[in-house]
Amino acid sequence: MKLKTYILTRILLSIPMILIILTIVFFVLRVLPGNPVLAMLGPKAPPEIIHAMEHQMGLDKPIIVQYFIYLSHIAVGNFGTSTYTSLPVLQELVQKFPATFELTFYSMIIAVSIGIFFGSYAAYNFGKPADILARVYSIFVYSFPVFWFGIMLQLIFGVWLHWLPVSGRSSPFMIPNHIYTGIYSIDALLNGQFDIFVDAVRHLILPSVTLGVVISSIFVRMVRSNVLLALSSQYVIAARARGESERKILFKHALKNAMPPILTIMGLQFALLLAGAILTETTFSWPGIGNYLITRISYRDFPAIQGAIVFFAFFVAFISILVDIINAWIDPRIRY
Amino acid sequence: MLKTHKELKKGGVTLRKLFLLILSLMLVVTFGSKSFALSKKSYIIAGTTDKITSLDPAKAYEYFSDNILQNIMGGLVKYIPGTTKIIPDMAKSWKISKDGTVYTFKLKKNLKFSNGDPINAKVFAYSIKRVIRLKQNPAFLLADVVKDAEALNNNTLKITLKYSYAPFISILAFTISYPVDPKVYPANKVYSGTPVASGPYMVKKLVRGQEIELVRNPNYYGKKAKTPIILIKIYREANNLYMALLSGDIDLAYRTLLPQQLQQIQKNKKFKTYTGDSPFIREVVFNVKAKPFDNAKLRRALSYAVNRTQISKEIFKGQVTPLFTLIPAGMWGHKNVMPHYSIKKAKRMLKALGYSKAKPLSITLWYSPSHYGSTESDVALMIKNQLEKTGLVKCKVKYAEWATYVDYWTKGVMGMFLLGWYPDYFDPDDYMWPFLQTSASPGMGSFFSDKAIDKLLKKARSTSSIKKRTRLYYRAQRLMVKKAPYIPLFQGQQHVVAKPEIKGILMDPVQIFRYYLLSK
Repeated sequence: MKLKTYILTRILLSIPMILIILTIVFFVLRVLPGNPVLAMLGPKAPPEIIHAMEHQMGLDKPIIVQYFIYLSHIAVGNFGTSTYTSLPVLQELVQKFPATFELTFYSMIIAVSIGIFFGSYAAYNFGKPADILARVYSIFVYSFPVFWFGIMLQLIFGVWLHWLPVSGRSSPFMIPNHIYTGIYSIDALLNGQFDIFVDAVRHLILPSVTLGVVISSIFVRMVRSNVLLALSSQYVIAARARGESERKILFKHALKNAMPPILTIMGLQFALLLAGAILTETTFSWPGIGNYLITRISYRDFPAIQGAIVFFAFFVAFISILVDIINAWIDPRIRY
Repeated sequence: MLKTHKELKKGGVTLRKLFLLILSLMLVVTFGSKSFALSKKSYIIAGTTDKITSLDPAKAYEYFSDNILQNIMGGLVKYIPGTTKIIPDMAKSWKISKDGTVYTFKLKKNLKFSNGDPINAKVFAYSIKRVIRLKQNPAFLLADVVKDAEALNNNTLKITLKYSYAPFISILAFTISYPVDPKVYPANKVYSGTPVASGPYMVKKLVRGQEIELVRNPNYYGKKAKTPIILIKIYREANNLYMALLSGDIDLAYRTLLPQQLQQIQKNKKFKTYTGDSPFIREVVFNVKAKPFDNAKLRRALSYAVNRTQISKEIFKGQVTPLFTLIPAGMWGHKNVMPHYSIKKAKRMLKALGYSKAKPLSITLWYSPSHYGSTESDVALMIKNQLEKTGLVKCKVKYAEWATYVDYWTKGVMGMFLLGWYPDYFDPDDYMWPFLQTSASPGMGSFFSDKAIDKLLKKARSTSSIKKRTRLYYRAQRLMVKKAPYIPLFQGQQHVVAKPEIKGILMDPVQIFRYYLLSK
């Protein structure tokens, strides 16, 4: 199978996955008790206004009819209008997504850096204190609840030391002049506003370290075991026999060969990272899709909840396809 | 291995350089620029956990959206800051017909919106009719009473009511009656763009769930706002707000810190705390149609067992005031009528109803875990314990998330549950009619009905003399005690925590937080 055909197959396969998620979310929301109109209008709304609103939102139609209407809208990229803000859901998601992407991207860099560094160092020093330390570290941070770790970092670096901001994406009036990508750290550089870049990165440090450190435990263990496996392989023995330096053996031979499974895990971790981002965004008042989703759940904003979850599903599907392509590129032995 | 380890160390030189580079970059970022482009006196940063739903006066119907509108818009009349007295705002004067159904307003001249468009009688008539036509949540406040609104000329507005309605002027002071620019706000659709202002401030930027930036409205006819820019940062939870306050990210926090956070920060000399009464009330609701709460004697017995002082002291650290009627203290018509805590009386009444230790009254108390803050479960548990202290009650506690909760009480699923009320207009009518009037009480989940009370409330609505209305409300409250469809619990307080340099914080009895009075 050619790479192009493979990519196309992967994209087509992700359609039923998204459809299943969409269907589950749609029906679960409607099976749960709680009328979105009542949640929106509150106790003071007179019945005639409630009925009018239900009619306007199509909630008086049979659920199955509502489902097919929703599907037909999604098919043309219409995520509906938020019942909470009266704004198009897609517009809101596109506005929130860069914040979530920025947070998850930097968290992933932190997690992967810690994972590769500690993991390969631990594997290289197998059985030695460094190895034990790395293993203890990964168990320790894996058990951290994200919100607790976040609050601890806020207390230490924000409240006690006053080094870093504790919430939000930027300081007051420190937003890039022109928004190109919605990712402040990049937009600031594109605008040539270094002070705003520094401000954006300062705001990113605590949330991305929180999420990155918690996720890093999986990478430390993955890298350690894969590098350990690679170090005991015959090509490493052969490289040693050739007299190659240990650094070259570790980074060029062992780590490179250990990368494909790590990359696969990295792709899968994106889903976990997004779940973690919901908690991190809540802890740090980070205005991303996670925060958006939690707020809208309490308002039974059906179009917004469905939209956010489908958006996440698209994103995870996209990342997993991307990871497969990178895998194939790193390891030509991989065939489809 | 030893030999090769050395080699690794050699290679480590580059790694070390890289590490040092990253470390120095991190130091630059951590201690780097913290300065803002503006002078410190030109802006104030406020923090809140409130959310905005809509800034269209036809739709806005929760505290924060209304409060923003009260800072960026104005109406025919307004409250004098710090009082409950209503004076003309954009109106110069008004006349009420003898039968109380026709209001004629003379408007001030040369009024303008922030975009330069004129504000005249036609604009007011358009705005009132638009609210009624759009049928959004708060629309009933005007739709139920207003028959017609018309511009007699550019500066004269005539509003005809369906019936004489004394609290009407209070409704005109509420955001629902604010004029909107007909060129911007569509006649048949809710407007979700940037609001066009008519008050001291205008919205420069609104990022939902993140921040709102208010700047002075150059076309405002009144006194200009004291600080050029107000930035309101929106936090998800009380913890985020508390951290932001402690770390110095914000100048003041308004709504809502947890009671223990507030208690803690009151000891912190770096901040000043302001406290005032709030018109917000909390109560236990009985569904009087559901067994065993269909018995008024039983409801009265239970109300004797509730110790409001304990709730106030232990859960809210004294930051709420026990309440013994539905009309809050500080408002005319208020009379503490409900029975005070007496476990002896509660026991005696329950025994008289046939309950005993062997055969206790078995009931369920419902609450919603997040809508009224994280203290709500504590309130429910404390009431359960207080009721069970009689030894004659077995009380289960159940909860439902807000959307489900609203659904349950409107369908009459819950027999006894916790609820709160924030007024739409500052008049006793808004604390009595929705709770006690036969047609309105299902909306509150009590399904209460009493002909004598209905008659009194109707009469109070159509009477213009405050003295006479006060007497009518006293009588209605006394009748309410006998039927006890609610156990009023406490009246809220409003709190602001600010850096000492922030001036102009006013704890308004109608709880309008006036950002335009703030300065550094």
